[in-house]
Amino acid sequence: MDIFDLKREEFIKWINDENRRKGISRAVSSYVSAKEYVLSKMPELEKIRKEVRKIKEKSIDNIFELLKIAMENIEESHGNAYFAKNSIEARKIILDIIGENKLIVKSKSLTSEEIELNEFLEEHGNKVIETDLGEFIIQLRKEKPTHIINPSVHVPREEVAKTFSKLIGREVKPEIKELVKIAREYLRDKFFKADVGITGANVIAANTGTLFIIENEGNARFVSNAPPIHICIVGIEKIVPTLEDAFKIVQILPPYATGIPMSAYVSMITSPSRTADIEKTLVYGVHGPKELHVVFLDNGRSEVIKDPILKEALYCIKCGGCMYECPVYRVVGGSFGYNYFGGIGIIWSAFTSGMEKIAATIDVCTKCGRCKELCPLEIDVPKMIEYLKAKLVEKGYISKRHKEIRDNIINKNNPFGE
Amino acid sequence: MLLYWKGCMSRYRTKSIVKSVEKILSYLNINYITLEDEGCCGSILYRTGQIKDAIKITEKNIEKLKSLRIKEIITSCPGCFRTMLKDYSNYYNIPFQVYHFSQFLLKFKEKLKLKELNATVTYHDPCHLGRHMGVYEEPREIIKLVPKLKFIEMKYNRNKALCCGYGGGVRSVYPEVAIEVSKNIVNEIDNNIDFIITSCPFCKYSLSSNRVNVLDISELIAMVLE
Repeated sequence: MDIFDLKREEFIKWINDENRRKGISRAVSSYVSAKEYVLSKMPELEKIRKEVRKIKEKSIDNIFELLKIAMENIEESHGNAYFAKNSIEARKIILDIIGENKLIVKSKSLTSEEIELNEFLEEHGNKVIETDLGEFIIQLRKEKPTHIINPSVHVPREEVAKTFSKLIGREVKPEIKELVKIAREYLRDKFFKADVGITGANVIAANTGTLFIIENEGNARFVSNAPPIHICIVGIEKIVPTLEDAFKIVQILPPYATGIPMSAYVSMITSPSRTADIEKTLVYGVHGPKELHVVFLDNGRSEVIKDPILKEALYCIKCGGCMYECPVYRVVGGSFGYNYFGGIGIIWSAFTSGMEKIAATIDVCTKCGRCKELCPLEIDVPKMIEYLKAKLVEKGYISKRHKEIRDNIINKNNPFGE
Repeated sequence: MLLYWKGCMSRYRTKSIVKSVEKILSYLNINYITLEDEGCCGSILYRTGQIKDAIKITEKNIEKLKSLRIKEIITSCPGCFRTMLKDYSNYYNIPFQVYHFSQFLLKFKEKLKLKELNATVTYHDPCHLGRHMGVYEEPREIIKLVPKLKFIEMKYNRNKALCCGYGGGVRSVYPEVAIEVSKNIVNEIDNNIDFIITSCPFCKYSLSSNRVNVLDISELIAMVLE
């Protein structure tokens, strides 16, 4: 069995898994109708998404300058800024801040998945609790996320009920409201007991060093506010020049990510918590964290910027809309990807984890281009997929069937070999 | 000289598309040739990353078509259409025009005398023809030429059309996925649809595996020619 045979078996498992298919299909239909409604209600988003494309193009072209400005401004506001060349460096920086045997609460961060942070921190005796409901569910189920915005998209309510029943030791009904209540009660005191809170960020404004965290549940607010230390892990591609630019991205993310006009919460964090109310003497760590640490991750991004075709992948604002819209993702879900999912996820997985990781998966993309049409930034995913596929073929990653088709074309003048 | 480029899929699998196109061309008294040794356009090689071989085929085809003094090519396969028009031009100056059959046929709409057809149809936009080449309206205009035919749009149409699952070499490596993806489309259509019309042999082949009646645009027109 080669990697293509193994991948084919994995796809077949997904196709035949009724539970996962049910979860995805429910999520897809509610996403599609919600987005349709919100886009018709907010026609101004058409203009904003085009402006965001321009902002991202400009930001990626000046990424290192913006990184320098952002880091300086974070430091100036009494935060700590770090640059990590790769996952190993990022994990070490974070471990050095945290130490061992600590309780850590986390809000959803794709970037932390990218560097496999939880596994690493737990190896060093720390306990990590995911607090985003979807992440919490799959952490309890010891599974991997299968969608960037909705990581437990493949787990229907009946399965969540089973998982929660095990957690609290009594039978739980598969009623969504009841399930949410259980998560709320279970997690409530964890936020305040935690030594450290780890978040990602959706955008960073370089001119003030401000982190934007967009969410609906309110967990990221607790994670970034209740513990005495807040660590933010963020890819360098998330930096834009100004607050004004950042607000544009904030405006298009929620509608495209979840079909809502605006998220319940947008946290803007510029420095640790502070006061000068007593004798004008500045003290850090009032009600919020005493320390703010921002870890900027490169991990392949600065290499991919040099590639004129693949550079476009860095414009992605990670709304995840293209995954719900992808005809193939609807069928094979989280098996269409590695640590990022769908067509754009194949590109991201390739430069953050190595292209051999997606060498077989890439062949499931039909290059139909639906993602490009529905992407708020019109990112040309099929073009990048074809380009990356050609690179893989050069390195010898080609399926037996595609090779056979090639031989038939050369020897018999048709792909069927007839 | 005008060439009808059949495409491998219709030469070997969806042969009635070739018959239908040729029937329409002779009905219209159009002078054209076909090639005994047509070969491969290179589409599947471009799509599966086998670029060196694809370029070799491209060179070979351009030389051959040049020597035959081909000025215009019509093809009923959107894969060939896109490849010969777009991919070839990425590497070479092509000395001929390429049209999809639906574009070509529409130019002769005045000459088409069509019988009534009492049926309800919908249209599936092939990815290679629609999203990749921007040909959305011509096939629809042709469908609407048929008297009495009732046309209903799919929920997801034009640039938002779903994919049939067979493109890009997926069918050959992951056939189970391809078949499952094609069901996305069939599940969305109305119960009272008699035929799904499409304009791609791959889409026809794929959608037909779901016990629905699928006609290529050429088959529809050939069926109702007076």
